[in-house]
Amino acid sequence: MASIIRISNLDKFFGRLQVLKQISLEVEPKEVVCLIGRSGSGKSTLLRCINFLEEPSGGIIEVDGLQVKAGGKGKQHRQLVHEVRLKTGMVFQEFNLFPHMSVVENVMEGPVTVKKMDRGKAVKIAEMNLERVGMSEKRDEYPNRLSGGQKQRIAIARALAMEPKVMLFDEPTSALDPELIGEVLAVMKKLAEDGTTMLVVTHEMGFARDVSDRVLVLSEGVLVEEGDPEQIFNNPKDRRTQALIERYRMDRQSPNPN
Amino acid sequence: MDSMDTKEIIEQYGTKSQADLMYEAQLRAKWKFRTNVVISWVAMLIFLLFLFSGINGSFGGFSIKTIHLDFQFIRENLAFVAGGIAQTILISFLSIGLAIILALLTALGRISNIPPIYAICTFYVSLIRGTPLYLQIFFFFLALPQLGIVLPGLWAGVLALGLNYGAYMSEIFRAGLSSVSKGQREAALAIGMTSAQMMGRIVVPQALRFAIPPIGNEFIAMLKDSALVSATGFVHELMWRSTKVGRASFRNLEALVMAAIFYWAMTLIFSTVQGQMETRMSKGDR
Repeated sequence: MASIIRISNLDKFFGRLQVLKQISLEVEPKEVVCLIGRSGSGKSTLLRCINFLEEPSGGIIEVDGLQVKAGGKGKQHRQLVHEVRLKTGMVFQEFNLFPHMSVVENVMEGPVTVKKMDRGKAVKIAEMNLERVGMSEKRDEYPNRLSGGQKQRIAIARALAMEPKVMLFDEPTSALDPELIGEVLAVMKKLAEDGTTMLVVTHEMGFARDVSDRVLVLSEGVLVEEGDPEQIFNNPKDRRTQALIERYRMDRQSPNPN
Repeated sequence: MDSMDTKEIIEQYGTKSQADLMYEAQLRAKWKFRTNVVISWVAMLIFLLFLFSGINGSFGGFSIKTIHLDFQFIRENLAFVAGGIAQTILISFLSIGLAIILALLTALGRISNIPPIYAICTFYVSLIRGTPLYLQIFFFFLALPQLGIVLPGLWAGVLALGLNYGAYMSEIFRAGLSSVSKGQREAALAIGMTSAQMMGRIVVPQALRFAIPPIGNEFIAMLKDSALVSATGFVHELMWRSTKVGRASFRNLEALVMAAIFYWAMTLIFSTVQGQMETRMSKGDR
């Protein structure tokens, strides 16, 4: 089967600083791929280049057969970017729920405004997706009355409501209090089991090890290693991966989880 | 602590905790302050009324002469002057409506990266802020007719006030727009919205919400600035009516006092409404 995401020779510069160097990767349908690496390694930028929240400086992004070259301009390029965004769902570190809309309105917003779906049908889709993340009860609440974990689950439902081909997660648990991380990871695990294609940037090594099909390791803008979680966690080959895994094990043993 | 001690403490201090006592002391202090403010206000009002009471005579060696108002005149002209209130409120509402639209468009234009649009907006703001409101009002009433453009009195006034306030209020909307985080824009784009949808559905509604309390303040200022329109003689609002009857019978003092009371009362009422709106917004479900 064809890949859902295929990235070829992706470069990204911020001014003169090159943060991504010739990245190439693929994500297959129903695959869960975790992208790990230290802070500042470029993993969030890589994810954000896929749906063009960051404009890549060089290379080709292909999502579900739709090819977009970096650095394009004009109407045609914008149209391609728009279509890529329709095929990808994004979950942000900071949730970014719309504070002026209730929970169900947040989830309906994409289908109604972007897909021009009639409200009745959009409500049904919203309710179904809230059910999936276990947030049906909070349907009529406003986001500022919810905990971070609840907000993030709703943000996941909002992305799912657009029925994307692939879900992109940008450190979805990094802004959460430790006791709220579990509920979000549980929802993501369930999505993975349901066969959702996922690309997850995360610091949650436990999730990467237990849930993902494949782990990519990014260091200073370079993909240094790629493999199944078993191999990455038990038998890392690259010394930068070894350092990363080593530090993770030290953190786990230390009495203070932070 | 044994039971005897507890009993003694309760006898001495009651059953209230230290925190309760402190809280009550704070409430008492706050209440005392408020009472003093109210008493001072009432005293000043009484003094003001006394000043205008028309008392004339000598009391125990002091001769007192206060301002005498012609209440006959006030009674006769009260209805006519009060009739201007509706015009004042109407012109203020219409002008603030126009100002809100202009201010929002200008604020959007000022974050635009299309040079002509940005230029038009900054040019407009600069021109309006660089000239007096009084001049602008006369421009619409007196200068435009010279070019063959004669606007009905009310609309000329609304146009002048709306254009003026729009320029100043664009700053409010600019702050409102920048209060919406980058993450909100990105979330909108990520679910596939176009830039226009992102602005219309996500950014502008949040900016408007942010701008509601300051808009209330501007409206209250507008109520009073609308008096400037009277200078042209074409809009028969509160100020125009009061100066008209005042000049006609040389009773300017009475006429202006009447108008002042009406303006003050309107300001108090709308300030209360605005204050309540502000508290409701700051609790903020939405």
